[in-house]
Amino acid sequence: MKNRLKVLRAERDWNQQDLADALGVSRQSVNAIETGKYDPSLPLAFRIADLFGLPIEAIFLRD
Amino acid sequence: MIEKNRMAPYMRRYTVRIIMFMAAYVIILTSSLFFARNGAPHSQATLIGLALITAFPVVGVFWAIFRLLVETDDEYQRLLFAKQTLLATAITLVIVTVWQFLQVYDVVSTGPQWMGVIWFGALGIAGPFVRWKA
Repeated sequence: MKNRLKVLRAERDWNQQDLADALGVSRQSVNAIETGKYDPSLPLAFRIADLFGLPIEAIFLRD
Repeated sequence: MIEKNRMAPYMRRYTVRIIMFMAAYVIILTSSLFFARNGAPHSQATLIGLALITAFPVVGVFWAIFRLLVETDDEYQRLLFAKQTLLATAITLVIVTVWQFLQVYDVVSTGPQWMGVIWFGALGIAGPFVRWKA
C-alpha cells in the first residue's frame, strides 16, 4: 500500500525518529511503513491519521 | 512513548529477565554439578531434583523470549520477533530431523540432543536474517 508519510513528515520538518517518538514506535517501524514494506494495523493507522489531523485515506492510498 | 536513544520498556524488561535467568543458570549449574559429583552416592529423587532445578533457568529464558512477543507494543517489531522465532524453530527442526536420520543410518551414534541449545543458536542466526533490510 502506498502512503504519503514521507511528504507529510517533510512538510512538518520531522525526521523519522521524531515521528516514531510521537507514535510510540521504533524508527525502524516508521521506515518500514514509509517505504511500503509494512502496512500498519488499523489502530496504528488511526494514530498516524490523528497525529497529522487527516483522514486515513488522505495518508494511505490504494495501489 | 519510546524516547530518543532509550531502550523500549518491553526490551528493557526482556534484557533484565535474560540477565537474571542466565546468572541463575551459571550459579545453579555450577553448584549442582559440584554437589552431584562430590563422590557421595545420591538418590534418584535427588538427581531428578537437581535436573529440574538446573532446567528451571533455561525454561525461564524460553519464557522471557515468548513473553517478549506478548509485551512488544510496537507491532512491526513484534512481527520481526515472531518471524525470528519461527525461523529459529524451522532451523532447529531441520537440524534435528537430519541428525535423527544420521542416527537411523548409523552415521552417528546418538540422536538429537540439547535441542533447546540448538534453538537458542538458531534464534541468534535468525535475527540478522529477519532484520536484514527490514
